[in-house]
Order: sequence, then C-alpha cells, then structure tokens
Amino acid sequence: MLAYVARRLLLAVPTLLAVMTLVFVLVRIVPGDPAQTILGDQASQEALMAMRERLGLNRPLWEQYIDFLRDALSGDWGNSMVTGHPILQEILNVLPYTIDLTVASLIIGALFGIPLGVWSALHRNRLVDYVTRVGSLLGLSFPAFVSAILLLLVFSIELNWFPVISAGDRSSVGEVLENLALPAINLGLIMTAYITRVTRSSMLNVLGEDYIRTAHAKGLPNRAVIWIHALRNALIPVVTVVGLYLGILIGNSVLTEIVFNRPGLGKLIVGALSQRDYTMLQGLMVIYTFIIIIVNLLTDLTYGLIDPRVKYS
Amino acid sequence: MQRTGFLTAAAAAAGVLTLAMGGPAALAGPDTNILNIGMASTDAGRLDPHLSATTVDKAVFGWMFNGLVRFAPGSASPETIEPDLAESWESSDDGLEWTFHLRQGVQCHHDYGELTADDIVYSLNRAADPDRSSFSSDYEAFETVEAVDPYTVRIVLSHPVPSLLGLVTAYQGGNIVCKAAAEEMGEDFQNRPIGTGPFMFDEYRPQQSLSLVANPNYFRGAPMLDGILYRYIPSDSARDLAFQSGEIDLIYGRQDQTWVERIRELPDVTVMVMEPAEMSVMHLNTSAAPLDDIRVRQAMAYAVNREEFMDFKGRDVVRIATSIVPQGYLGHADLSDLMPPFDLEQSAALLAEAGHPDGVTLHVIHTALPGMLDTMEVFQAQMARANITLDMEVVEHSTFHAQIREDLSQVVHYSAARFPIADIYLTQFYHSRSIVGTPTAVTNFSHCGNADAQIDAARVETDPEAQKALWEEAQRLLMENFCSIPIYENLQIWARHDYLDLGYELTGSLSLGPPVTESTHFVSN
Repeated sequence: MLAYVARRLLLAVPTLLAVMTLVFVLVRIVPGDPAQTILGDQASQEALMAMRERLGLNRPLWEQYIDFLRDALSGDWGNSMVTGHPILQEILNVLPYTIDLTVASLIIGALFGIPLGVWSALHRNRLVDYVTRVGSLLGLSFPAFVSAILLLLVFSIELNWFPVISAGDRSSVGEVLENLALPAINLGLIMTAYITRVTRSSMLNVLGEDYIRTAHAKGLPNRAVIWIHALRNALIPVVTVVGLYLGILIGNSVLTEIVFNRPGLGKLIVGALSQRDYTMLQGLMVIYTFIIIIVNLLTDLTYGLIDPRVKYS
Repeated sequence: MQRTGFLTAAAAAAGVLTLAMGGPAALAGPDTNILNIGMASTDAGRLDPHLSATTVDKAVFGWMFNGLVRFAPGSASPETIEPDLAESWESSDDGLEWTFHLRQGVQCHHDYGELTADDIVYSLNRAADPDRSSFSSDYEAFETVEAVDPYTVRIVLSHPVPSLLGLVTAYQGGNIVCKAAAEEMGEDFQNRPIGTGPFMFDEYRPQQSLSLVANPNYFRGAPMLDGILYRYIPSDSARDLAFQSGEIDLIYGRQDQTWVERIRELPDVTVMVMEPAEMSVMHLNTSAAPLDDIRVRQAMAYAVNREEFMDFKGRDVVRIATSIVPQGYLGHADLSDLMPPFDLEQSAALLAEAGHPDGVTLHVIHTALPGMLDTMEVFQAQMARANITLDMEVVEHSTFHAQIREDLSQVVHYSAARFPIADIYLTQFYHSRSIVGTPTAVTNFSHCGNADAQIDAARVETDPEAQKALWEEAQRLLMENFCSIPIYENLQIWARHDYLDLGYELTGSLSLGPPVTESTHFVSN
C-alpha cells in the first residue's frame, strides 16, 4: 500500500505543475489591473507605473513564469499583491477555519445522512420514505445563503444563542465550537441531504442482492443483515460521492463563510479574484489542488477499509 | 464595494424575515468600552495612508493619523479647516511660500518619539514620491519642503496652489506618517502603520478585523473609548443582523432607501446621512461617432427623467444633480438651468436632425455592482423610450475599471466622491490631461478638454471670488458641450445605536466614515 501511496503522490507532481501553469496564464488573461486595484481610481499614471514595476508586472511573461515556478518550488510563495502579507501565512491563517467547517459538516452529514438513508430504503414507498426524500430534495435545492440567514435570524437574533459574526477567537474549545455551530449546521444540512439520497439509493441496490437473501435465509438477525452486511457494501458509492463533494465543499463554502463572516479558503479565493491578486490566486490554487489530490487519495484508501476485496497494487 | 446579487437578495430576505418576526428589543448598551464597527468589505487593502484610496481603508486612516490641518470633525466643508498638527500658518503675498508652526509635544504612536518638522518634511516628500505614494501628482507644485527649526516647516511652491491647505489636511497624502517608523519598517509600514492620531494600530486579522487601541498620549487628550474593532463584513445581511443584535455599534450603510427605512424601524438607532456626495454621472465619449455629434448627446440629455431616478433610489439617499460638480464642493455652481428638461419629442427631433431618425445603438460596458447596475438599468430603460438602445455588457468590477480605461465603452457610468474642491473633480474628469489612454490619464472618459484654460487658470488664481467665477465658467462650458449627463448625488449612509455619542454633530466626513475622536464615547459607560 505504501508503494501505491508513493506512486499516487508522484503522479500529483505533474498535476500540480499543470495547474500552476494554467492558473498563471488564466489570471493574466482576465482583464483587470492589480496596480489600479491597490492604488484606487485616483492614482496617477506615474504611481500606477511605479506600482506595476514594483509588482514585477512590467517584465516579460516568461520571466514572471520562470520566477514563479522557481520560487514556488523553493518554497517561497511570495507576498500578496494587495495586502503585501506573505501568502503562505495568509493561507495558513484561514486554513484551520476551513478544515473545522468541512470536517464538522461532514460529521453532521454522516451522522444524520447515513441512518436516514438506510431508514428510507428500508421503508421504500412508504410515508417515511416520501418524507425523507422530499426533505433531502429540499436540503439540496435550498440556497445555502438563505438557510444561513434563517439560522442567524432564529438562533442569533431571536434566541440569542450564537453570535452573528462567527469569526471569533480560537483560544478555547468552547469559543471554537460556539463560532462553528451555525456554519457547520448550515453546510451539514446540505451534506446530510446529499448523503441521505446516495445511501438510500445504494442500500436499495444492495438489499436486492442474493447474499442479503441468503443472510436472511440463514436466520441472521435483521439488524445484523442491515447494519453489517448491507450497509458495509452500500457505503462504497457513499464514500465516493462524499470524497468528491468534500473537494467541492472546500471551495463552495464561500457563501456560508461570507454570510457568517467566517474566514476561509473560499472567501480568500473570491477576494483574491475580485482584487486581481495574482500571487495569492496562484498560491491558493496550488493549495486547493493539493487538497483535492489528498482527499481523492484518502477516498481510495478508504475503499480498502470498507471492502477487503479492494487491493492496492 | 464588493457585493454580489445574491447578497442583495439575501439582505432583502433578511429584512423581510426580520420584520415578519417582530424585530428585536432595544439594546441596553455595549459590554465593553471598545467600539465595534461593521464595514462592507472582505478584507483590508494596504494600510498605508499614502498608498490606499479605498473607502474601506480611508476611514481607518482618519482615526490613526493627523494632518497639518484638518476639517472640523463631522464636516466635509473646506470652510471648516482648522489647526491640527500645525497651530498656525501663514503664506507669502504671492502664495508661493507657506510656513507652518507646529504644535509641541505631539507623540508618535508606540514610542516612536516626538513629532517634529523632520517628520513633516519626510511625510510630505513621501506623499510626493510616485514610488511610495498614489497621490504624487497632487504634490507636483511642491518645489521644496524644509524644516526651518524643529517646530517650523516651510513649503515652497513652483506656482500658487490656492487649495494648498487641502493637500496638507489629514486626507490621503496629507496624512502625516512618523519618519522613524516609516524608515525603519520600509514596505512593512503598511503592516504596522504609525501616526499620531487618537487611536493606534494593535492587531490585524485577515478577513476578520483590524483592532486599534486608544492613544493615551494623544495631544488633544486620551480618548474616552478604549479602542476600536473594525470588522470586515462583506455580507449586507450579516452586517445588518450583527448591528441589530448589538454585536456592532456603528455600521456602514447601503445607499438604498429600502435599507434606510428598514434600519430606521429598529429601536434606538440613528441613520446618518452625510457629505461628501458621490456624483452619479454618465460620461459620453465625444471622440467617436455617433456621440461626436453634440445633437446626439443633447438627445440623450433630453431623454433623462431625473424625478424617476429620485423615486427609484429614494429621496433620503440621493439628491438631483445641479451641475457636473457635486453640491457642497468648493466652487460648485448651481447650473440647473443648463439641465435639459425631460422631453422625448425634443430628443427625437434632435436625433432626426443628427441623421438618426430611427435611433442609435451604443455599446456600454458596466460593472456588476448592484448599487450601480440598477441605476444603469433605469437609464437604459429611459434611453430606450427615446429610441436610443444601450447594448449593455455587464462585467465584474475590476474588468469594468480596466475596460473603461481602454475606451471600450461609449457611455461610462461613474460614481465617485473626491476632495470637495471643484478643481479636483474638474481636473480628473474633464481636463484633457486626464483623458483615458494618455500618459497622464486619470478618469476623463468623455475626451472633453474645452474648459482646460478655465480649470488651469482657477488653480493658480489667488482671489477666491475670481477663482469661483473661473470654476463656474468651466462647469458651464462643459455642460453646454454635453460632455456628460449628471444624474444624481449619492450621499454617504451610516447608522449607529443611540448609546454611541460621536462627540460632535455629523454632517460630513472626508474619509467617508464618521470620525472617531477622543470625545466619542458610549452614553451608558
């Protein structure tokens, strides 16, 4: 398995290089001038030229590209063009917030989504199944920013249980949890809806398999058949979609981050894009690609834990 | 100014839902002596007063820095200029030499020592240096700035600048930075800006907040507040809800009547409407057909119904434009008589006379910013009634700024506030030196230059009455040439809880944010 992991990580190198090149070109194709963004619309041409010079934007593209690759490979990610702060430090500042939010919403999604999916599949075409299906459909189609505002109105304004601004101190676990609760519930609801639907459909397939009938015929208790034999086999598609969704979630949590005023990678990407912060965008895209690669690798490794027939070679 | 459509929708949804739920009870007051301010932004820009001109950063500079002179707190009128770091000043008869006598004992933040004439010399030279300042061109008339003695500064000009006090006020390049700190930190100065104002830099948290602490050595006395927590909250709805819950005490408002009315319904809250106004103007590119024909430009002006704009934007937040320079700016002339009345027949006649009986089509590039886009959509609908089709391409805000500077839009909708002296507005938007695409470009999108002589003459005119007459003539000439169509003036909107006493009467603020002074305090404390 170690060889498999090493091979996958080696394969990540050309992927990262391709992404870095693509991002370098794309951010420069999009119209917009970082110098103008930094200095504002009243800046003189002289000041704009001086700023472009300082940012290195006047140099030939190939020179900028080579410097970018050399610096990135040597671990020097440079400074943000807009704030002037070191990129790696800015990313590392917000990364814990993104990881907290992603993991918490995944836990909520799994805790509620898997039992609901199983329950729904076991009661196919009965009232509970219809209710679960409609509920999960609502969860998927409800815009994240609307549910976020509803949560704020109920739990922050009316009940006064949580702060509106979730970007608080991280000095104590209590503080972290208090600030994390509403954003995690918001994203967790979407995750729950997603996992419920996939689990239900996968369980329905497995429940029709011969080995399930055999298990019943052998006289195994119903609970053991469902939760051990059926669910374990049904989980592989669930892990696949959760893995895919996790990657998307890290970037897509931006709406939740903005409404709850919580720092995060998604918000950083949107800010860097609107300000044409080339260096920040480059750094963010590399990190984002790396996260996707790691999530995919972990997803593949999880298959082996669920299904012993999966071998890594 | 970073907003998206969904956030506007979200804000509206929040408003409706809040009202439906009955709204909150009145708040008793803050728990701490820290002023929490909610700003509409994802993050800070560069925290260097000589570099950043964004609304988000400007407000902060006003709390941390001083100038040689300042506008009286709560005023945006140049007539209220009063001593700040300088106790007094005088100028030579020819207006070429200005001498400022400094206040003694002013301390730089964080133990960087006493502020002396050397700091002023350093700071003004820094503001004039294009490598270190965005505002260098404002200081091109500065020949020398010298320290006569530790508490006296002399500025020698190459030509008279009647609005010189505007350049040394606590605004943009006039904000005085402490030499020792700026030299020691270099580019890192923006990460720990050092001034002499009532509040000092404490901590910056990316995407979250900027924390300032009270300056106990402030020369006007220690502030009554312990500090300021300036929070970056991009979501309109979250900002409103945080204000409603009392998590923030002072909030940057939306220039929108619905917002004003909704916030006014909250208990014990005051909505503050202040100067300087941002003029919403349609600049017409006179350098290319069909807008090179004045009759087409006139036809557009006749098709504008300003009353509709007033009804649409709301009378609390906008007022009808009466010139191409906003009201309240020194040198503004009320030229309402030159604004064509709404008359579609006259518009059609002019178009026919110009050889376009079936109308014209104009290509327009516009930003996706909702507050500007809705104005443009109304303008587009009004033009359509006159058979003038605006073929509108909506792009993201940075793209908009890049493309309008490449002359890709025949009509440019621009909304901006400037230092409230007619010269700045006229020079940046209507002087031929500022035409986009030229080496000295600023924001002249109309390509007009027919009032250059008057603008230049006014700049060096030492008699205030003659100067005002020149500015009026310039405005008249440009309006008669239909270089642009001024629509309305947008005022600055903020709101505060009534337990916050600003310590002065707020009618305006150059930094576009309410000044937080040594006298600002919580009533309950």
